[in-house]
Amino acid sequence: MINPVFMIAIPLILAFLSLVAARIKKWLLLSGVLINIAILFFLEKGETVIGGFKPPFGINLILDNYSMVGLALAGLLLLAGVVLSLDKADKYSTVLLTALAGINGMLLTGDLFNLFIFMEITIISAYILSTAGKKPEYSFNYLVIGSIGSVFYLAGLVVFYSLTGTLNMADLAAQNLSMGTPELLVPLFLIFTAFAIEAKLIPFGGWVKGVYGNSNRLTGALFASVYASTVLFVFGRVFNEVFALSGAVQTIIVLIGVVTFAFGEAAAFRQVKMRRILLYSSIGQSGLAAALFALGLIFPAVLLVISNAVSKFIMFSITGKLREIYKTDDYTDLKGVFFSNKLTGIAFSISAMSLIGLPLFFGFYAKLNALTALFNGGNWFIPAVILLFAIVEGAYFIRLLIALWAPGKEGEIADKSHAVGEIRIFNIKKSILVFILSLVILAAGLIPDLAGKLISSDSGFMGGDGPAFTMSQLKGGE
Amino acid sequence: MIRLASLLLILIGLYGIFSSRNVIKILIGVNVMELGVNIFIISVGFFKGGIAPILTADSFSSAMKFVDPLAQAMVLTSIVIGLGITALGLVFARKIHAQYDTYDLGAIGGGKDD
Amino acid sequence: MNLTIILAVTVVLAVVSFFITRLNKKAGGFLTVIASLFAFVGLFLLKGSIGGEFSIFYFSFKITMVGWYFALIMVLAYSMTSFFNPFWMDKMMYPGSYNFMYLLSMAGTIGMFFAKDFITLFIFWETVVWSSTFIIQLGKSRKASYVYYVVSAIGSMATLFAIMMAYSVSGTFVISEAFAGLSGGAAIAVFFTFILSGLAKIGIFPFHVWLPAAHGNAPHTFSPVLSGGLVKMGAFIAFLSVTAFPAYEIFSGMFKVMGTPFPIYFLMALGAISIIVGTLMAIKQEDAKKLLAYSSVANGGYILIGILMLDQVGFAGGMMHLVNHAVASAAAFLAIAAVAYRTGTTKMSEMGGMIHRMPVTYIVYLVAIISMAGIPPMGGFVSKWLIFQGLADKGMLFLAAAAFFGSIGSFMYVFRPLSAVFLGQTFTRDLKKKEVGFFMMLPMLILTALSILAGVFPNTILRVITEIQASVGISPVTLAENTIVTVNGYLDAFRVFIVFGFGFTIAFVIFIVRRKSKKVELMDTYTSAEFIHTRELLHYSSKFYAPFERLYDKAPDTMKLYKKIAVKIGELGNLTESLFYGHKPEKTVFWVMITGIFVVIIGGVV
Repeated sequence: MINPVFMIAIPLILAFLSLVAARIKKWLLLSGVLINIAILFFLEKGETVIGGFKPPFGINLILDNYSMVGLALAGLLLLAGVVLSLDKADKYSTVLLTALAGINGMLLTGDLFNLFIFMEITIISAYILSTAGKKPEYSFNYLVIGSIGSVFYLAGLVVFYSLTGTLNMADLAAQNLSMGTPELLVPLFLIFTAFAIEAKLIPFGGWVKGVYGNSNRLTGALFASVYASTVLFVFGRVFNEVFALSGAVQTIIVLIGVVTFAFGEAAAFRQVKMRRILLYSSIGQSGLAAALFALGLIFPAVLLVISNAVSKFIMFSITGKLREIYKTDDYTDLKGVFFSNKLTGIAFSISAMSLIGLPLFFGFYAKLNALTALFNGGNWFIPAVILLFAIVEGAYFIRLLIALWAPGKEGEIADKSHAVGEIRIFNIKKSILVFILSLVILAAGLIPDLAGKLISSDSGFMGGDGPAFTMSQLKGGE
Repeated sequence: MIRLASLLLILIGLYGIFSSRNVIKILIGVNVMELGVNIFIISVGFFKGGIAPILTADSFSSAMKFVDPLAQAMVLTSIVIGLGITALGLVFARKIHAQYDTYDLGAIGGGKDD
Repeated sequence: MNLTIILAVTVVLAVVSFFITRLNKKAGGFLTVIASLFAFVGLFLLKGSIGGEFSIFYFSFKITMVGWYFALIMVLAYSMTSFFNPFWMDKMMYPGSYNFMYLLSMAGTIGMFFAKDFITLFIFWETVVWSSTFIIQLGKSRKASYVYYVVSAIGSMATLFAIMMAYSVSGTFVISEAFAGLSGGAAIAVFFTFILSGLAKIGIFPFHVWLPAAHGNAPHTFSPVLSGGLVKMGAFIAFLSVTAFPAYEIFSGMFKVMGTPFPIYFLMALGAISIIVGTLMAIKQEDAKKLLAYSSVANGGYILIGILMLDQVGFAGGMMHLVNHAVASAAAFLAIAAVAYRTGTTKMSEMGGMIHRMPVTYIVYLVAIISMAGIPPMGGFVSKWLIFQGLADKGMLFLAAAAFFGSIGSFMYVFRPLSAVFLGQTFTRDLKKKEVGFFMMLPMLILTALSILAGVFPNTILRVITEIQASVGISPVTLAENTIVTVNGYLDAFRVFIVFGFGFTIAFVIFIVRRKSKKVELMDTYTSAEFIHTRELLHYSSKFYAPFERLYDKAPDTMKLYKKIAVKIGELGNLTESLFYGHKPEKTVFWVMITGIFVVIIGGVV
């Protein structure tokens, strides 16, 4: 059994090494992400005390089922990202290793101030990665907004510290502060703002358009999958385990989440540039997941985060590469581009259809779970909004897929002579890698109960939040 | 009083970011905010008549009137992170200047996506 | 026969055909024929196991009479159309995925009709939607595929909402129990959202926009399936929304129109509007496939009205019209496809006189349109007669008027392709064109025979319908040996056939004996010394019904409504972009401050 602290320590050591031995930093990075996955299987579950101070006085790491899922998702996608874009990742080896340490720390830590530090490490790495877009004004914008978030987070944190005298998550939760009271509204809002900025919630995520919109195939894929899912995982923990939301705060946060979903999907609907479509769709999905987390529907939210992360990873990778080849990501200029890239095209299509929530794909299971859980809670308004904007989401993704697959003038049958270029998007090995990733979505969608069980384990998340809907209940078992 | 001052500093910083378009000035705004929040943290641990939390011959009991050491430790960390962010921000500022020959975000004019 | 085997074999063959097509296109096409014929035979033999329940994976199925009936119609359309597939493979951009999606969507429809619970139904339903979306894009219009998906999605999302809402009340997804315990506003909400996918699929106004787009532009080999088959999925939802959802019972306390609860009457009125809109629009069309698509809209109206009546006579008519329309429209679309196979176009003004080149196709088309227009002795007449009887029985004047209007109007529109495509002068370009081969002719002939048989021996089909009627607890339509008996009278279809057959024979004999017509070229005409260069203008069918069309050419286009909604959503997106996103931090700071102040105020109030 391995101590979870190595999840943070090893990448950090490798990051320092990569500064010293710059020649082999590519291999250090690769080995870092590989080791990260390898030790995931041998981690010691439960609580790990750091430095000999017992919590709540010292810092502790908590590895439960929830953080395990987050670690596995982030680690695997980072690995896939590094392998898929090793040429781009080489330059950012140190940054990526630091980011890995930060992400693992964020997911593992049981202390709010410690979380702040890991969050800063992660975000600073994100600032640096965002410079790959060669638009420093957007990186700067991200940095300033992110800093406001961290200041707010600290301010809110300190208020709670002064009230309870502790920063330990479990200890703070045990104080049973009533989150509905007006005095706590402002500090809670401060903490929420910090997460909302990182989780891209409207109106806080003003940096997203510039950063995602100018991302390349590495950074885009990592931002939209690894970073986004990590932030949402932490968001889920903080607003369920530490601060159990209720009353007006909950209503506000849920409202912000739902509005983000609706506005994000609407904004994606009118885009023609693929990265823009994907980024606004990410914003929308993020809002939905945040709303579910805020309502305490952890399992559906986790499913949504996972399905979104894998899909967005695939789609951003392909889009980034398309932009590299054709110098544009306007899909009206890329008609029929999948004709000579069928494997990549199928991967892209599966991802998109999973995002829309079409059956046979994993996204459908996530959507069904979300809807069932919401209806079980007596809520019909949010499902109505979700389904309404699922139409919009379906509309723009299907439009995109049609354009990328079937070129041709209106009034003439689809013809390959109108297809853009015959350049291979990915070489055969990378195509297969992307394709296999998409097959995971398909397989998980075909055997959703098994996938759901794998994710929630037997114990479920945080007090046993498990599937609200299983396929096996159709047989009339329950 | 000191808390009010720190709150004021945060708001001044926010106002600075909101009102100015010069990259350097915005960074100064960020710094003022950070300063404000640091003072706020210190103020939480501080009380009148408190002494430094160091065990010496004069002050050897935990029942002594120590100020909260944890808040000071947090501020130290926060200052370091603030330094890092400011440094990175200045790098970005330099890059902006190199690319657009100005420090004024307004003059960049929207920055079209590539 | 076992449903598991049917589904498994179709899905496996779907995958196999994808790979085989990569090796040999034609072989892949023939595989779809084999697979769909296998499914058809298998389904036919499934009748013995009606009532059985079982599950495959997590899907649960129940073989019901009505499911069997629907599935048989559906797979008939699929299997007959599949005969055309091998000949179109070269024209497809993605023949492999076409074959795959063709069989996958067929498996989807089969699974859907036998679903025991709504989730199974929904999964199969949506699979059909997305797989057919990817087929339609291979046709003449990418936009059509998009429109098809969006309209379908509006329906299916609404239905999913209804399923979930019903589940939150009853706690089960099983179709027969899911709607238990609904009442009041929730019942109305569930009813209208549930049936929305049905309306969207049948193409009821205002959801009819996808039919002309998709039917008109889909690959020629898929239009027959769309019109003859997939549209009937909507009818199944309509059927469920008056049977599984006991609309007549739940709404029995509501305000009634002619003895029908208002929500149901409202939908029937929508059906009537569809009949009128479909008929009027069909009359206007220049493209033969679009014309047939609008006629499907009108026929969908009949089917909806019939099924929603849920009574002894009208319901039987609606259910029978399913078969008649499926057979007739599949045959008509196949005939147009056959012509397009030879001429390469479906524009009526670019064709003419094909009767001389393709006489069999002509007869197929003729029989199909006679059935569609509801003229004896074809099947369409019997089912429309039953629907009229049902409407007349209840005294629903407006609906009956619409139904009559649709019947009369259909004479006008079905005659147009007949005269434009098949009659008149043959284009010089087409003089050397031949009739299609036997393999393509076969399904057309089978469908023609079925159309006639349904008209001559309607009781064969009606007997199945009586069983369906019994299974949902309404009194079955009265059938004597060869006649259908209603309150207002009876219909002896065989005798009608004899009479019409006699008349036809006499007319044919006269035609043969006194054959005096002289064949002339299209341009062989007297033009008062004016030269005519555009030969389309001289074409028999150009501006065919111009005076009539002028009566309603200012009618609003429903498509504009959808476009407006799309523009509004886009505007919301624009607003989002400009309000929250940019490269200056000030925007975000502003919003953070605003939300902060808002939260403080809320804190003060709470």
